[in-house]
Amino acid sequence: MHEAIETLKRSALAELSTSGDLQALEHFRISYLARKGQIAELFDKLKDAPPEQKPALGKALNEMRRSIESQFEEKKARLETGQKKKSIHLDLTLPGLRPWVGSKHPITQTLDEIKRIFLGMGFQVETGPEIEDDYHNFGALNFPPDHPARDMQDTFFISNDVVLRTHTSPVQIRVMETQKPPIRALIPGRVYRNEAISARSYCLFHQVEGLYVDTNVTFAELKGTLVAFAKQFYGSSLKYRFRPSFFPFTEPSAEMDITCFLCKAKGCRVCKNTGWLEILGCGMVDPNVFQSVNYDPEMYTGYAFGMGIERIAMLRYGIDDIRILFENDIRFLSQF
Amino acid sequence: MKISLKWLQQYVELTVAPEDLAHRLTMAGFEIEDIEYQGSVYDKFVVGEVLEVNKHPKADRLTVCKVNTGTEVVQIVCGAPNVAVGQRVPVGLSGAVIPHNQHDPEGKPFALSHVKLRGVDSFGMICSAHELGLGDDKDGIMVFDAHAKVGAPLAQYLGKDDIIFEVGITPNRPDAMSHFGIAREVAALLDVKANLPKFQLKESDVSVQQHAKILIEDTENCPRYSGRVMFNVNVADSPKWLQNYLLAIGLRPVNNVVDITNYVLMELGHPLHAFDYDTLAGKTIVVKRAKQGEKFTTLDHKERTLTGDTLMICDGERSIGVAGVMGGENTEITHATKNVLLESAYFNPASIRRTSKYLGISTDASQRFERGANPNVTTFALDRATALLQELCGAKVLKGTIDVYPVPVKPKRVPLRIGRTNRVLGTSLTKDDITTLLNKIELTSIPSTNSPSRDEVMIEAPTFRVDIEREIDVIEEVARVYGYDNIQTDARANLSFYEHPPKKDFSDEIRDWLIGRGCKEVVANSMCDIETAAVTSKDFVEVANPISKDMAALRTSTIPGMLNIVRNNIFHGSKDIRLFEIGRIYFKTNSQAHKNSDSFVPGYYEENRLAIAFSGLSNPRHWNEQPRQTTLFDLKGELEAFFCKLFLDNYKFIPYSTDNSLTDSGLVIHLSGKESGYVGKIRPEIMKRYEIEQDVFVAEISIPNLEIARECERTYRPLPKYPSALRDVAIVIDEEISVETLTMAIRESGGPLLKQIELFDIYRGNQIAAGKKSCAISLEFNSEEQTLAQEQIDTIVTSILNHLQVTLNASLRT
Repeated sequence: MHEAIETLKRSALAELSTSGDLQALEHFRISYLARKGQIAELFDKLKDAPPEQKPALGKALNEMRRSIESQFEEKKARLETGQKKKSIHLDLTLPGLRPWVGSKHPITQTLDEIKRIFLGMGFQVETGPEIEDDYHNFGALNFPPDHPARDMQDTFFISNDVVLRTHTSPVQIRVMETQKPPIRALIPGRVYRNEAISARSYCLFHQVEGLYVDTNVTFAELKGTLVAFAKQFYGSSLKYRFRPSFFPFTEPSAEMDITCFLCKAKGCRVCKNTGWLEILGCGMVDPNVFQSVNYDPEMYTGYAFGMGIERIAMLRYGIDDIRILFENDIRFLSQF
Repeated sequence: MKISLKWLQQYVELTVAPEDLAHRLTMAGFEIEDIEYQGSVYDKFVVGEVLEVNKHPKADRLTVCKVNTGTEVVQIVCGAPNVAVGQRVPVGLSGAVIPHNQHDPEGKPFALSHVKLRGVDSFGMICSAHELGLGDDKDGIMVFDAHAKVGAPLAQYLGKDDIIFEVGITPNRPDAMSHFGIAREVAALLDVKANLPKFQLKESDVSVQQHAKILIEDTENCPRYSGRVMFNVNVADSPKWLQNYLLAIGLRPVNNVVDITNYVLMELGHPLHAFDYDTLAGKTIVVKRAKQGEKFTTLDHKERTLTGDTLMICDGERSIGVAGVMGGENTEITHATKNVLLESAYFNPASIRRTSKYLGISTDASQRFERGANPNVTTFALDRATALLQELCGAKVLKGTIDVYPVPVKPKRVPLRIGRTNRVLGTSLTKDDITTLLNKIELTSIPSTNSPSRDEVMIEAPTFRVDIEREIDVIEEVARVYGYDNIQTDARANLSFYEHPPKKDFSDEIRDWLIGRGCKEVVANSMCDIETAAVTSKDFVEVANPISKDMAALRTSTIPGMLNIVRNNIFHGSKDIRLFEIGRIYFKTNSQAHKNSDSFVPGYYEENRLAIAFSGLSNPRHWNEQPRQTTLFDLKGELEAFFCKLFLDNYKFIPYSTDNSLTDSGLVIHLSGKESGYVGKIRPEIMKRYEIEQDVFVAEISIPNLEIARECERTYRPLPKYPSALRDVAIVIDEEISVETLTMAIRESGGPLLKQIELFDIYRGNQIAAGKKSCAISLEFNSEEQTLAQEQIDTIVTSILNHLQVTLNASLRT
C-alpha cells in the first residue's frame, strides 16, 4: 500500500511537470484529483487494509494528496498569470464609467451655508406663506397706510389687501403671534418685487431673515451676533461697519457693510469704488411691532436682520447678472 | 438726491476733505452712493492765450499757433477759421480726453497726445464748444472773454469744478432732502454751525391784503398757507450761477421765476409754487377738495380726472393746482407773465400721498410733502424766494405776507429714560452724555417740573424732525450721533433656549438624495401666464398688477416651468436632462381643508412640490456600453428607490385611467392611500407647444404628503436565523394581465414563508403562444424556525401555480 502511494505520487508529479497549458492541467486534475480520480481510488482501498495499519496509511495518503494539490494550484496560478499577460493589453487609462453628476443650485448652497451658521447659534427655521395679507406684510410691521415707506418695496397685489409678500418679515409677525419669547427664528423664503427685470433685479428673489426676542436684548448683541456670522461666512479677517438706516419695523435700524473681498477694499466696480459691500439690513424690533403681536415692549426687546440670498450668492461666485440664476442652464448649474 | 458741495458751502464750512465728509455722512445714516467730480472731465484742459497765428506751410486750412498755457508756450496746429491772436481759448493738453470727437460719426471721446499734423508738431488742441460738450457750435473754437485768467484750469473757469454727492435719504428724513438739511447734519458731524441764507427784502408801501385773499376750506389737509404777491416781474433766463447750481444737481433751468422756486426748494427743502397773478379769478386762493370726477389739466399738459378726495388750490372760480403735487396749466408762469402770486404752504402728508399715488405723479414737491414738510418754515422760504425774485427779476414786492395758520404746530416733546436707552443699545451713557449728543442735532432737553426722576429727561424736537414722536425715535438718534461703531460689539450670547419644537426640514433630505442620484437642482419663476396656470387648475391666483402678461398668474404646477428649462437646455445643446425643483404652487380655495402650515391667508393655498424631469440618455455615454434613451421606467424606478430610501413603505403607482392635462401614459402616485402626484410622459401637443422634440418624463409629488406618509417610526427586525431559499419560475399569462396583478396573486397564495417576489425578465415570442407573455420571477422563501427543505418549497410553489392557473389562467413555462 505504501508503495502504491509512492508510485502514484511520482507519476502524478511527473505528469504535472509536463502539463504545459491549462487544458493539460485540467486533464491532470480529472485524472488524479477529481472525485473519481486515481487518488480517490487509492483512498477507497484504505478500507481493505488491516485495521492496525489504517492510521499510518491514512496519514500518508492525506500528505500525498495535499502535496499534489498544492503543487497543482501553484502551477495553475502560474499558467493563468502567464495567459493573462499574453491576452489583449488592458488600457487602464480608459475613463471610468461615470454616472450623472448632480448639483445643488447656488441659491440653495448659499442659503444652506447661512442656515448652518445660524442654526449653530440656536436659531430655528420657520416659514410662512408667500401669498400674504396686507396686515402681516405691512400694517403689523409698522408701515402705516399712506406712508412713503411702502414705496421702498414695489408690491405685486393679488387683491386690495392681499399681496405677494415683499419680504420675509411677515413671518416674524406670524411666529410671534403663535409663540412666546424667547424666540430665535431663522426665516428663509421667496419674496416678490414689482420691478423691471434687469441684470440687477428680478421680479422675485430669496431672503433669509432672523428674529431674536427676549428680555434685555441689546443693539450690542445684535452687532455681536452679526459679526460672528460674517466672520464665519466671509472669513475672520474681514472688517465691518454698521451704518444707520431706516426700516419701519426696526429702530434703531442699520445696514452692515463688510470690506469688499473682491478687491481687498481697494475699490472696484462691484463695491462702487467704496471698498465696502453692503451685506444685510438689521435693527432693534420696533415697539410698535411688539404691540401688534401683544408683546410688552417694556418687558421684551429684540433684534431682526435680513439679507438677500441672490445678492450674497452673486458676490460669492462672482455672478454679475441675477437672471442667470433663474435660467437654470445646465452648463451654469454644472459649475456648482 | 444730489447735493452740490459748492452749494452746501454757503451754509456750513466744510473743514474736511470731500471723501472724509462722504464717509462721515454715510456713517451718520446718509449714505453717499456716488461722488461725481464734475471737473474730472476737464482734467488737463486750461485757459490759454493765443500769442501767434502763422500759416501752415503745407495746408491752407490749418494754422500753426503759439499758445500760452500759463506755465509754458506750446505750439498747436489749429483748423478753426476763427482763431486769432489775443484770444483766450480752451486748450486741451497732452493726456486730455476730448469729450466729443467731431470727426467720429458717433462722437466718441479721444485722448490727446503729441502728434505731427502734415509735418508740423502739435502739442495740444484748441477746442470748440461741441468738442467740450458745452454746446452745439462746432464751426469754430470757443473764445472766452478777455479777462479769463490764462492758465486757469478749464473746469474752474467754467464753474464746473463742483463735487456732487448722490445721497441716499431714507423716507423717515424728509428734513434732509435739501442742501440746508444736509448742512445741519454736516454741522453736527463737524462740530460747526450751519447758517441759514441771509437776504434783504424791500417791500413796497402797497399792502398785499388789498390785492389778494387766501381761504382754507380744508384745514385738516392744509394746516397752513402763506402767500406773497409781487408785480413787474421780468421773466427771463436765470443768471449763469443759478443755472449752474440747478444743472449740477440734475434740474433743467426753465425761467428765472420757476428756477428760483426750484432753487429754494433744493436749498431749504420747502416746495413753493408761483402762479401768474393776472390769471387768478377774483385774486383769491381757496384750498378745498376737488369735485368727484372733475377734470383738470396739470402743468405737464395732461388732463387728469380727480376724486372728491383730491386737495386742490383754486382761485375765485376754478381749480388752479393740485395741492402739493403739481400746478395747473391755466395759471402757469410764461414769458408774458408780469405779476406773480407765490405760494408756500404746508399740506397733510397722507393726503398728498393719496393724491400722488392716485394720479401717478411724483414730483420733488409731492415727495417732500408726503414724507412731511416743516409747517413752520413756510414764511421763511417764501421770503427767501421773494428776495431772489426781487434781486433777479426786478419784482416789486407788496407789503406783508398773507399767512393763514389757524392752529400753529408746536415742537414735539418726548420723555427719554436714560436707563432704557442704555438697555436697548447696550451702552452705559450718562444723562449728560446723552443730552450733549442730542444737542448737536437740535434735540434740546428742557427742564421739566413734572418728572423729578433722575433717570428721565424731556426732549424737545424741532418741527422739521417729523420722524421723532416716541422714545425709541430719540434712542435711535442717540445711537446715530454717538456712532454705531462706538457701540460695543457684544459677542456674549444670552442663552435662552427656544422651546418651540423645530420642524425638520425634509426638503434638504430630498435634495441631498436626488443630487447624489445625479440630478441637478433648478430654481424657477413661480409666476407664469394665465393660460399656463389654467392648464393645470382653474383655481389659479391672478396678480392684479403684473409686470407683463407672461407673469400674470402664480403657477399651479411646477411642470410647465420645468419644461421651459428643459426646452432652453436642449436648445443650448444640453440634451440629457435630469433636473429637479422643490418649489411652491398656489391656488385659490374656498375650503378650510387645506389648513397646512404654509397656508395662512384665507382663500389661498400654497404647497411645496417636488418636480423631476428626465430626458435624453439614461446614462452618460460610455466606451463599453451602448447608450440608451430614458424611459418612463427610469423615472419610476428612481422614485421607487427614493421612496425606499425614505422608508416610505405605503406607496402605490396606479396607471392613469384618464390622462392628465400635461402627461399621457403615466401613473398616479398614492402615498398612504392619498393621491399625491404623478409620473408620466409629456403629451405630444404639450411637447409641440414647448417646441421639444425628444421624449420628456416628469414627476410631480406633494412634499407635505411625502412628509405625512413617511411618519413611521423604524423598529429593528432581527435578521433571519436560517438561510433563504430561492426559486425561479417562468409564468405564462395573457398579455393584458398586468405584472402587478400577477404579483398580487402570487403574494395572496404564497403564504407567510414567501418573503420576496422579484420580476427579472419578460419574454414574448415564438416559444410561447401569441398574445401571451412569459414572466420570469424569482421567489424568496424564508422561515424563522428552520432551514426550509426542497419538499416544503415545492409544495408552496405548486399551490401558487395552482392558484395562478385558476385565477389568471396562467401556466408554468416549460
